[in-house]
Amino acid sequence: MRNVYLKEMKMNLKALLIWSLTVGLMGLCCILLYKSMQGDMKNMADAFSNMGAFSDAFGMSTLSIATLKGYFATEVGTVHSLGSAMFAAIVAINIISGEEEGHTGEFLYSLPVSRKSVLSAKALSVLSMTAAFTVICGILYALGFAFMNEELPVKEFMLFMGCQFVMNLEIGAVCFWISSISGKNRMGLGIGIALIAYLFDIIGRVVPDLKDCLFVGPFSYANASEILSGQDIRTAGLIVAVVVTVLGIVAAYYFYDRRDLAA
Amino acid sequence: MKNAIEISHLTKSYGKNRGVIDVTLNIKEGDIFGFLGPNGAGKSTTIRSILGFLKFDSGNIKVLGMDSVKDHVNILKNVGYMPSEAWFYNSMKVAEAIKYAADVRGLDCGEEAEKLCKRLKLDTNKRIKELSLGNRKKVSIVCAMQHKPKLFIFDEPTSGLDPLIQKKFFELINEYVSDGATCLLSTHVLSEVNKYCKNAAIMREGRLALLDSPDIDDDTFLKFYYDEEDL
Repeated sequence: MRNVYLKEMKMNLKALLIWSLTVGLMGLCCILLYKSMQGDMKNMADAFSNMGAFSDAFGMSTLSIATLKGYFATEVGTVHSLGSAMFAAIVAINIISGEEEGHTGEFLYSLPVSRKSVLSAKALSVLSMTAAFTVICGILYALGFAFMNEELPVKEFMLFMGCQFVMNLEIGAVCFWISSISGKNRMGLGIGIALIAYLFDIIGRVVPDLKDCLFVGPFSYANASEILSGQDIRTAGLIVAVVVTVLGIVAAYYFYDRRDLAA
Repeated sequence: MKNAIEISHLTKSYGKNRGVIDVTLNIKEGDIFGFLGPNGAGKSTTIRSILGFLKFDSGNIKVLGMDSVKDHVNILKNVGYMPSEAWFYNSMKVAEAIKYAADVRGLDCGEEAEKLCKRLKLDTNKRIKELSLGNRKKVSIVCAMQHKPKLFIFDEPTSGLDPLIQKKFFELINEYVSDGATCLLSTHVLSEVNKYCKNAAIMREGRLALLDSPDIDDDTFLKFYYDEEDL
């Protein structure tokens, strides 16, 4: 299992670095741009915070984008949410089916390692890569605050990154299950799942009738504006996340152990 | 002499499509067993069932005295398998792929792998994606042989190999078999079976027919390849 895990990490290292540095540096650049936009932001902040449902959807009614914390929540929070969700989806949805898509399954499964061990190694590598992604981006965002000589709201920031990590795991678990039952690369589907989940969250925040259903989606409990403004985490959303993550992983083991492996 | 492989009433279908039907086959230890048959006859289905890649519908398989389902991992420790399509992780170098196979087995096969690479003239510094089919097959041979398994399973091993490497490949098989290994050789090449195999069987439309001798003529052999309406 150790060797399969290390091989997965090595093979996905390039993707991890490209995605984490791209998303992290985009966030860092956004933070660094704040200074040059600070003057304009003050004028825009009032207008943005009074746009009703639109302001609610993007968190501009709870935090002022005239502050770095508010600006980080509305701008970088969105970039990180989308980027990390897509990364988790892409990594997880290809990690099992890629063996069959790339015809390497016969090589791997002719070695004395059980399907459960292969799945465990792959699940662990998705977990490790998602964690590394979160840490790399987190360091870059923290550096942004340091460059700007602004105090990082450590508690809220750590909570936000932690919730994002859980959201990534939830999306990753769903994609991991899909990967276990599919013999083909479903990258498009993975990205689609991440984007639809994000869209569901935006619509849920704009349409009043859908607000009660928000907790179903993975973005509900990881909203940057809510977390950075000190609001309570949506517990129902977190419970759904734990249930979905566990179900996704258990289903992957269940189905993968019972199916024929393609050549 | 004990059986290295015991297949009893194996049936496997893919939904409504036929795989293999009621296949019973015993292969003795120390045998080089030829496994012939047209494309789609069920040779690969049988092999893939032995290796645990497929979940078969009924029957049972014992390999080296172990149950193919319950003792799957222990069986694979003692098997060297070479698939018909030799695919590896493209980004790996040849040496990395060979070492990876040994590492997953928890063995240091460096000495044997080096000997095999030398005999097969395999450049271990190249990346897998740079290799031709023939060279990928050489990597596959090394991965199947480096741990000196008790049982070899080869699925169309010589396609893509040049004649000299084919000769060396069979020399290697003979060496390992003379040291006590067993070999199941699935192939379309009758001359290989005539020349190297001690026993043989032919599959046709999912069913198995044992041959009295692997030394059969072309006409008898080709009869198995014709459709029923061609006969």
